[in-house]
Amino acid sequence: MLEQLLIFTRGGLILWTCKEIGNALKGSPIDTLIRSCLLEERSGAVSFNYDAPGAAYTLKWTFHNDLGLVFVAVYQRILHLLYVDDLLSMVKQSFSEIYDPKRMAYDDFDETFRQLRIEAEARAEELRKTKQVGKPVTSVKKQGQVSKPGLEGGNKRVSEGGSKKDDGDGNKAKVSTLTNGHSNGNHQMEDDSQETDLANGKENTSSNVAVDLSKLQKLRSKGVRGRGGVRKTDSIGNKSSKVAAAEPAKKATKKNRVWDDAAPKQSKLDFTDSVDENGNNDHVDIVAADQGESMMDKEEVFSSDSESEDDDEPGSDEKPAEAKKKGWFSSVFQSITGKANLERTDLGPALKALKERLMTKNVAEEIAEKLCESVEASLEGKKLSSFTRISSTVQAAMEDALVRILTPRRSIDILRDVHAAKEQRKPYVVVFVGVNGVGKSTNLAKVAYWLQQHKVSVMMAACDTFRSGAVEQLRTHARRLQIPIFEKGYEKDPAVVAKEAIQEATRNGSDVVLVDTAGRMQDNEPLMRALSKLINLNQPDLVLFVGEALVGNDAVDQLSKFNQKLSDLSTSGNPRLIDGILLTKFDTIDDKVGAALSMVYISGSPVMFVGCGQSYTDLKKLNVKAIVKTLLK
Amino acid sequence: MDNLEDLKIVAEQWWKQGIEFVQQIPPPQLYTAIGVLLLATICLLSIRLFRRTKSNTVLLCGLSGSGKTMLFFQLRDGSSHQGAVTSMEPNESTFVLHNENTRKGKVKPVHLVDVPGHSRLRSKLEEYLPRAAAVVFVVDALEFLPNIRAASEYLYDILTDASIVKNKIPVLLCCNKTDKVTAHTKEFIRKQMEKEIEKLRVSRSAISTADIANDFTLGIEGEVFSFSHCQNKVTVAEASGLTGETDQVHEFIREHVKL
Repeated sequence: MLEQLLIFTRGGLILWTCKEIGNALKGSPIDTLIRSCLLEERSGAVSFNYDAPGAAYTLKWTFHNDLGLVFVAVYQRILHLLYVDDLLSMVKQSFSEIYDPKRMAYDDFDETFRQLRIEAEARAEELRKTKQVGKPVTSVKKQGQVSKPGLEGGNKRVSEGGSKKDDGDGNKAKVSTLTNGHSNGNHQMEDDSQETDLANGKENTSSNVAVDLSKLQKLRSKGVRGRGGVRKTDSIGNKSSKVAAAEPAKKATKKNRVWDDAAPKQSKLDFTDSVDENGNNDHVDIVAADQGESMMDKEEVFSSDSESEDDDEPGSDEKPAEAKKKGWFSSVFQSITGKANLERTDLGPALKALKERLMTKNVAEEIAEKLCESVEASLEGKKLSSFTRISSTVQAAMEDALVRILTPRRSIDILRDVHAAKEQRKPYVVVFVGVNGVGKSTNLAKVAYWLQQHKVSVMMAACDTFRSGAVEQLRTHARRLQIPIFEKGYEKDPAVVAKEAIQEATRNGSDVVLVDTAGRMQDNEPLMRALSKLINLNQPDLVLFVGEALVGNDAVDQLSKFNQKLSDLSTSGNPRLIDGILLTKFDTIDDKVGAALSMVYISGSPVMFVGCGQSYTDLKKLNVKAIVKTLLK
Repeated sequence: MDNLEDLKIVAEQWWKQGIEFVQQIPPPQLYTAIGVLLLATICLLSIRLFRRTKSNTVLLCGLSGSGKTMLFFQLRDGSSHQGAVTSMEPNESTFVLHNENTRKGKVKPVHLVDVPGHSRLRSKLEEYLPRAAAVVFVVDALEFLPNIRAASEYLYDILTDASIVKNKIPVLLCCNKTDKVTAHTKEFIRKQMEKEIEKLRVSRSAISTADIANDFTLGIEGEVFSFSHCQNKVTVAEASGLTGETDQVHEFIREHVKL
């Protein structure tokens, strides 16, 4: 049973709600849908799940882009209603006939809606009945369903590269026969289903398959968003944890390996200068303030070359692709008169070209795909304004979407947060996390330098107790910057070291504590557990994920796994997730800036700093407009 | 060819006649005539340049969830219809204020713009600020304290915006949802906002030489910030979008959107 069906304008005014179904919705699912899905450029997704105390809803939506209307249906998640997509498109059609911008109340629509709902329910019943007839055919698939989890994992791997529309059922055994099973299943389903114009056609075909499909879609979306996609990640996690399990065992003692043709034992390879307690060493020069302003405080100067020239060139490349669809003259004619309603077929080639362009700029493939779907959902059915080509409309919409994603959702004014914490007489704790070798320690020093320039007293905490030389590295930075450092050497529990560091900072009145952690791979279960222990124990104010700009598709995996592990292994009700991103090695990429977009999209947290070099002043803020321009060039 | 030459000859004759006529006019008259013409042109041009057409745009801005869309429809139609959800796009409309329909005489229509408050859509505000004649900053009087930091940062950004400062655009701090029992009073809200903006002022001006995020700084050096320090007029009012109590907002709009 449908809980609620709403029609509202993009400007926010509710035009019509179904009055038959009187129950009020618990929580605020519609607002959450808008804030975390539609405004986050995930409007290409199939559905949205909302959990409130006492209710678990699923929401489905559709847009009428020409009139600027949104149609949302809410129902209980356990119910798996099949007719919702059908109903939404029918409602869209009939409502757009009676819609008038001046009218605000549409009570006469109640009757129409009741009839439409009865029709949709009847159609769904019919389909289910015909499915019952076709049961013997589907019994083969039933066997496969028992071993669903593993096979779904297999499905995922097969279809990773290409199509996004999988059918979720499996035959037995191997992957190769799985693909055959897919095509068989497809044929049967399409024979049985009548021609209905559905947004996601295959979902409605059979009750068994519909359940699997919706589950798979949810699983996939969950897995990607990093919120408990247990099945998909478990299989991968199991393999790598065996590898990782070997590592901690090794920690005990490390004996020097003796080779057969052993050279005589050399003197210990240790070039560290002998340093006394106070750190008075002639070699280290004290930096203080004379390296100049950190680039955080300089305004970025970027060349504003004319964009129209860039627009023309890709347009001419796409013309041959579009021409195949409709013929050159009619497309030019339409672009001048601007009457045509944009259809998916029109948008297809333009979006494909845009997706390719994004991928050449190092945006992860999944993210580019989702973005293009979202832009497609927002443009479908819209009227082309006159004298614009399809490609330029698509480009403008994509640019809008990118600016929206990269604009931070909350304020990233760290200095303000530091002042707020200072008033409460607590130190502001920042934890740097990330995989190996991305530049955590280097950028920690840069952030410390910047904070120092703004008259904030900083303390470093060396919680990387695993990597050789990590503590010395931080010690050198601390000496150069003249800031205190809290260290306990190697082979200690990082969580305990961090706790003691924070206590020390409270004692001596430091404003900020910067905690350096060891690099760890996202699949490494024990290390991720150690990290979440550190975060749970110390409750830092800011968890900063350090990611390098050179990473490609792996950024998606890293961030989603980190977030997922932090939320799974958290002990309190409110799990602390990644609050911000620090993008490093930005000077090594010329214009392949896509990693920033992938990371922000997948985690939803803003980029707070960008590291662009190896000296203390090479830290700057993310310039959203410049990045968007580079991505779409 | 003959036609052309004939035309040429006729044109030359007219030209000669015109010159003779002009030469016949006594010089003083000629000069005065030219002088008057020039003066008239100069006067028209200067009036065009200096007289800024007073815009009639009023902006409704504030955090997401503070009730701007409801207020918009109350002002426009006198009722908030069936409620509102988070806006994804601005609502714009030009209309005569609802209770001014009864007033006699010429009433200027108001162009009211409801800008979405969601932080991802903050860039839309910058499109509308240069054209504003007045700004209504809507604050949720019910859920005030949890959102005070975000609200004060938003208000700070508006008060230090270049076009607002230069043109001394008046700002109304409107406390919405005052029909509820647990809503805060406007005095409380005003004092809290002043305190928060003072904190912001201190932290932002500490980096003023380096940070160019805000175009201008607020208030007077060395004194605690108060809204009376602003060069543009900042007033506080109460309203309720749900029940329709929007008289104070009406007055504000009427005062600042003159004919």
